[in-house]
Amino acid sequence: MKKLEHRAIICLLIAAVLVIGVGIFVFRFVTQGADWATYAYNSHIFANGELISGSLYDVNGTLLVGNKDGKAAWLKDATARRAVAHAVGDSRGNVATGALSAYQDKMIGYNIVTGTYSITGKGNDITLTVNKDISKTAYNALAGRKGCVGVYNYKTGEILCMVSTPSFDPKNPPSAAKAASGTFVNKFLRGTMTPGSIFKLVTSAAVIENYDDYQNWSYTCTGSRTIGGQKVTCTQAHGRENFSQALANSCNCAFSVLTQKVGASVMKDYVKKTGLTEAYDIDGITNARGTFKFPAYEPLSLAWAGIGQWKDQLNPCSMLVYLSAIAGDGHGVEPRFIHTSGSEGKTTDQMIDASTASILRRMMRNNVTSNYGQANYPGLEIYAKSGTAEVGTANSTAWFCGFIRNEGYPYAFIVCVENGGYGSAVAGPVANTVMQKVVSTESARTQ
Amino acid sequence: MEIILGILKGIGGFFAGIPQAIADVFTLTSNVGQIYTAFARWIFILLALFILLTSIRSLLKSRNPSEVWAYLNIGDYMNVPLRHWENVIGRARSCDIQIDDMSVSRNHGTLTRDNSGVWKYMDLGSKNGASVNGRRVRPNAEVQLKAGDRLQLGGAVCTLFPISIEERRNNIQFRQEDTVVASPWPSLVALTVFQIMTVIQLMIGLGEKYNAQITISFLGICVLMWIYVLFLRGMKRRGFEMETIAFFLSTLSLAVTATCLPNQVFKQFITVVMGVVLFFFMCTWLRDLPRTIALKKVMYVAAVLLLLFNVFFGTTKNGASNWVQLGGLTIQPSEIVKLAFIWVGAASLDELFRRRNTLYFTIFAVFCFGCLAAMSDFGTAMIFFVIFLIISFLRSGDFTKLIVILGVTFAGGLMILKFASASYVASRFAVWGHAWDPEFISNTGFQMTRAMTAAASGGFVGLGAGEGWLNGIIASETDLVFCVVTEEWGLLIALLAVAAIVTLSVFAYRSILAGRSTYYTIAACSAMAIFLMQTSLNVLGSVNLLPLTGVAFPFLSTGGTSMIASWGLLAFLKAADTRQNASIAVSLKDKGLGEEVDEI
Repeated sequence: MKKLEHRAIICLLIAAVLVIGVGIFVFRFVTQGADWATYAYNSHIFANGELISGSLYDVNGTLLVGNKDGKAAWLKDATARRAVAHAVGDSRGNVATGALSAYQDKMIGYNIVTGTYSITGKGNDITLTVNKDISKTAYNALAGRKGCVGVYNYKTGEILCMVSTPSFDPKNPPSAAKAASGTFVNKFLRGTMTPGSIFKLVTSAAVIENYDDYQNWSYTCTGSRTIGGQKVTCTQAHGRENFSQALANSCNCAFSVLTQKVGASVMKDYVKKTGLTEAYDIDGITNARGTFKFPAYEPLSLAWAGIGQWKDQLNPCSMLVYLSAIAGDGHGVEPRFIHTSGSEGKTTDQMIDASTASILRRMMRNNVTSNYGQANYPGLEIYAKSGTAEVGTANSTAWFCGFIRNEGYPYAFIVCVENGGYGSAVAGPVANTVMQKVVSTESARTQ
Repeated sequence: MEIILGILKGIGGFFAGIPQAIADVFTLTSNVGQIYTAFARWIFILLALFILLTSIRSLLKSRNPSEVWAYLNIGDYMNVPLRHWENVIGRARSCDIQIDDMSVSRNHGTLTRDNSGVWKYMDLGSKNGASVNGRRVRPNAEVQLKAGDRLQLGGAVCTLFPISIEERRNNIQFRQEDTVVASPWPSLVALTVFQIMTVIQLMIGLGEKYNAQITISFLGICVLMWIYVLFLRGMKRRGFEMETIAFFLSTLSLAVTATCLPNQVFKQFITVVMGVVLFFFMCTWLRDLPRTIALKKVMYVAAVLLLLFNVFFGTTKNGASNWVQLGGLTIQPSEIVKLAFIWVGAASLDELFRRRNTLYFTIFAVFCFGCLAAMSDFGTAMIFFVIFLIISFLRSGDFTKLIVILGVTFAGGLMILKFASASYVASRFAVWGHAWDPEFISNTGFQMTRAMTAAASGGFVGLGAGEGWLNGIIASETDLVFCVVTEEWGLLIALLAVAAIVTLSVFAYRSILAGRSTYYTIAACSAMAIFLMQTSLNVLGSVNLLPLTGVAFPFLSTGGTSMIASWGLLAFLKAADTRQNASIAVSLKDKGLGEEVDEI
């Protein structure tokens, strides 16, 4: 008997193996369970590879995609589907920043405690900030050209519209090999492009806050300026102009002088201060950071960098946040993608002084009245800056960005048309079409 | 660290959301079924925790007290208490009664007590022999030893003294004090509520697939459980923890069968009844050791016939031909043979010293391996292999012998592998640990990945019985049962099921300390090893931590023979429960109680 007592311990070893094995499983279960649960064959949340747990709605409560009677149902309007394709994403996860990919966990409501359980078995509903009708208007306004349109409420931060082209039908996504380049990228969030003259809004802020005598400053533009043997050129000779006129004329020569005046390190500070190199957390999605270089000892490159050329790469979303700082008191408002009614946006750090914002507003308004033509934007109190970015040999990229001041419609916008041509002439009408739609949309009105 | 923080955040968020979630239940749906499921899932967990933790606590809290049955006076000065019914006397340190005298052999003889309190000496062929009251005893033959008889071992003189009546009373009193038996009633009521709620949940979850069989079966198991407990209370037995655990697991088994194979629930219930009946008869039989040992021959013959029958008339299913079709019944003979394997493998102390006994058992084991190889039943072969090792080790404890056995069985194992490698076993080894790899995920890793996905979908609380989809995957009701339970009942209940098996085993181990005979100890250890092995292979196999072997989870897996065998194995554990009046498998008289009544 005595021997047996000791020998029987060997049996406990098997118990130990079982306990350790189950322990490993529980550890994996807790750490990897969410991955295991989200395989497309999991019929609790997928049907034919499409998520059926949870639904996505636009800001007005229109179903964008979701579970209808156990099947994945998409927005019926095919054009609208293409317009929101990048905001929503597709079931194959082609668009990494699409809500379907980014909010899959939220829609499923996956939780280690309750698994994929939801009381109705249909998951959670998420209401996005985008408006499908405005998105569709923007998509149509781009009229098949490549580019993007972003509109957001600069008080609440809600992104009303983000359209990126070339687009696709998320209900039947093309294979990655067949899709045109850039099809699956949300350019508004993840694109970085040469900004051209819209960048002068940043240089201007640097000038206002760092060059004390800017009000008395003037410059005579002859159409070109030589720096170190090479030329900075304008589209025409603007003649004598003050600071405000230089912005309205988008005079490259004048801004090359101003950039050199404030210097490389100040410019570096301002792209940082204005959040252009920032990646915002947009309800769990991050935008791409812009990249800028200001070489202190290469005057020509510095000059070009100050007017939005050379190595400048701008992310449209971050530019929109900077516009909100100009529209307001110098604080930006962080963008949001999930709709919550009646809440104020989260503000960023102070980007520019409130007085600077006020001066910039006056200048941007002046751009419209003196250059772009108020008649082109009927009924809109619009503040804007156009841009024509030269990219290589092809047609230049047309930009038009700004905001409107309108009772109940505090919206900022940015339009980018690749290979478009001249900024205000090409991107301006797109902005007008979209913003006219915005102010005539009752549901976009904020109290 | 980030992962842990994330998890804590998730759990915190979950608890913060509870009030909202409860409010949402009523706003999101007016469907009574959905509301019921929302709440029932939590109640199931509370009930299961209550049922199992009561039993687990009670089993682990009890001490199986070791007691003094007699004294052996050695020489002039030594008085050694006899704490077991079977004792080895000799010079070796491993002996229960050690005599430091060079004229005494290392293992000189055995001193055993039987049910009626009679002590017997048997000489193990010692060098200098032994004599009782001056009369020389023959080796390997039992001689009765009365109180006061003079037993001479070599040069050492011993005398047996019974314990006083006073001591015996104390023994009983201590045993009663040490015996902690949970009252069975709260657990039974909880289990009944569990069963009723399960039926309702299944009606909701299964919808059109629900049938009257399910109602009848759950009603049946409820009645069976109450009859069993009331009947045994009538027989003055008070310990029901093991049976409660088994009834709980059997109830879960019915629920699993209901979701996987709704038309076979009644069949599964019938096998529970058969299992309980077998359990009762085995317990009753096991009370009497000589009777138990006498049955060994029958067991040998029956096991050999069963296996041969299987080899020649077996049907192939999932690669192994371990099934026999008998009329409308399909049985798995190897499951039943497990019981016989333990029955003949366990041995009382005097048997352990007979070489022929070991030889028979080894031959029998080799025969079993051969048959299992012929059936290419890899999982069961593994279990037999390990159990054979354990039984051999318990019997001999000799490592050199063990190594020889290891060598022989390893060769046997290789043979089995060779037999099976051509077919499904090799592919199961290939996917082991790699189920998520793209080349396996929907191929040979299909069962495991689906099982883990389904399990993760269930989370800790589960989706509700009948609400899962894993039941549609092949062999889910047997091989993947752990994940089916996790999906529908939640990880907590699945873990409790594993904990129940572990508890049974730990309890069996602890009862060895007060073991009456090596027979019960070896039997209990082997049964526990089988439970643990099967649970390990089943659970870890389904989650890709071990190769999938198709071994059943004791009690839980659907399958008639496996259910019956599980209850049979439980009888061996029950026979080792020496707590006062706890076990049906231990006669009241064994504990001295009967004698007490007679004498006073």
